[in-house]
Amino acid sequence: MKDMREPTFLVLTALADRPRHGYGIVQEVRVLSGGRVRLLTGTLYTALDRLTAEGLVEHDREEVVDGRLRRYYRLTAEGLASLTAETARLRQLTTAAEARLRSVRLRSV
Amino acid sequence: MAGLSRRYRRLLLAYPRTYRRSRGEELLGALLDAALPGRDRPTAREAANLIRHGLRARLGRPASRSVVAWAVLSAVISGLFIAALATRAAWETARPMPRAGEARAMLAEILPGQEFAGIEDAPAMFVISGQPLSWDMADDLLLGDGGEYSLAGVGGSVVGTPAHPPQDSVELAQHNLRAHGWTVYPTMTRNVYDCAGPPCDPATIPKSTTILARRGDTKFWMEVNSGYTWDTTSMGAGFSRATPLAVYPFGLTGGILGAVVAFLMFGWASRRTEGRHPARVEVKVLLGVTLLFWWAPTLFAIPWMVRHHLDEPHPSWHPMWEWLGQPTFSLLFLIGCGSALLGLAAAATEPGPDREPLNTVASA
Repeated sequence: MKDMREPTFLVLTALADRPRHGYGIVQEVRVLSGGRVRLLTGTLYTALDRLTAEGLVEHDREEVVDGRLRRYYRLTAEGLASLTAETARLRQLTTAAEARLRSVRLRSV
Repeated sequence: MAGLSRRYRRLLLAYPRTYRRSRGEELLGALLDAALPGRDRPTAREAANLIRHGLRARLGRPASRSVVAWAVLSAVISGLFIAALATRAAWETARPMPRAGEARAMLAEILPGQEFAGIEDAPAMFVISGQPLSWDMADDLLLGDGGEYSLAGVGGSVVGTPAHPPQDSVELAQHNLRAHGWTVYPTMTRNVYDCAGPPCDPATIPKSTTILARRGDTKFWMEVNSGYTWDTTSMGAGFSRATPLAVYPFGLTGGILGAVVAFLMFGWASRRTEGRHPARVEVKVLLGVTLLFWWAPTLFAIPWMVRHHLDEPHPSWHPMWEWLGQPTFSLLFLIGCGSALLGLAAAATEPGPDREPLNTVASA
């Protein structure tokens, strides 16, 4: 499996609980990253195209709000598996890093 | 908001038409949703982002990470070749080569009292083996003698013993060139041959001295080969045209247009052949052949030309096509052209009925 970049991880995470439209994903990514990652619309749609071509995301439904077309996207089973695997990988790395940092702190006390 | 919407639509032109038809309204909706209230024009960052990703969308194959590199390689080499062609066209704006009579008069100013034989009008601005380029010379051009195609010159050589000793001729020419408004470049002196083995006294090896100068759009060269004695010295001198100013805007404009057109054509072929297009493999192979036959001579020629320009003073640079290995490797260039045309023709063939859509999301 290819390394997953942070924006991709965040987009998949934003779609984990329910389908969202483009701007909804942008807002959710901002919340998930604590305001650090602000996806621009062009970047988001290139990522969605790629994730769709890779079979990780699919079209859910569309609606028109205030005259604006909103297309919703959802995770596929493959997307969910990929996000789960990446989360496990990051957790393992985080756990290892925390253990090292704990020992450093203990030594410095 | 209407103004902002109009400006976003204008930026969305960076995306291919099929993409805009299927996703344009959705993208516009997301852009307007994200816009701060009261704003009437996109930020520079937004505009750059839309153009960048629109151009990426023109390449299709959203999951591919290498398609951008292939597109850039194709656009750059095409831009370089079109720029070279444009510079060749711009050379037509150069003043005609000095006539024989004018050359004789200038030589009389530079080296008074010295007779030069064999001065004739140049048959054309560029010649191959001394002849203007014609269809009869196509074989020579393509099959190994392409390097003979070069800027013509008008000059002659000294028959018999020169009027002055070699060093005096060099100093006199330099003095008179400067006196008549020429810019004289550093003189180059080389041994005519290397030491043949011990014993070897470098002082006894004949020397070749070259003087280069420029005045306006005229270049001057003189070569003095000093023999063992004064009467075995040979000497030649002549004139040619410097690069006309029009070459630079022509080259720049041609290069940019060539790169843009090549990028768009690459994107069109790439989008057309993604999925189950019957010629997708052939198109990839032909692209590889094209890039190989276009890039290989270029990558060979550029370092060679850089070294050559660093080694010797140049009143004006060699023509751009020589930097791309042309027309020395014109056969390879032509094979590349044929391969590119075949690839485009193959991409233009109708895909089968079971062809996958251009963009999975777009068709969803």
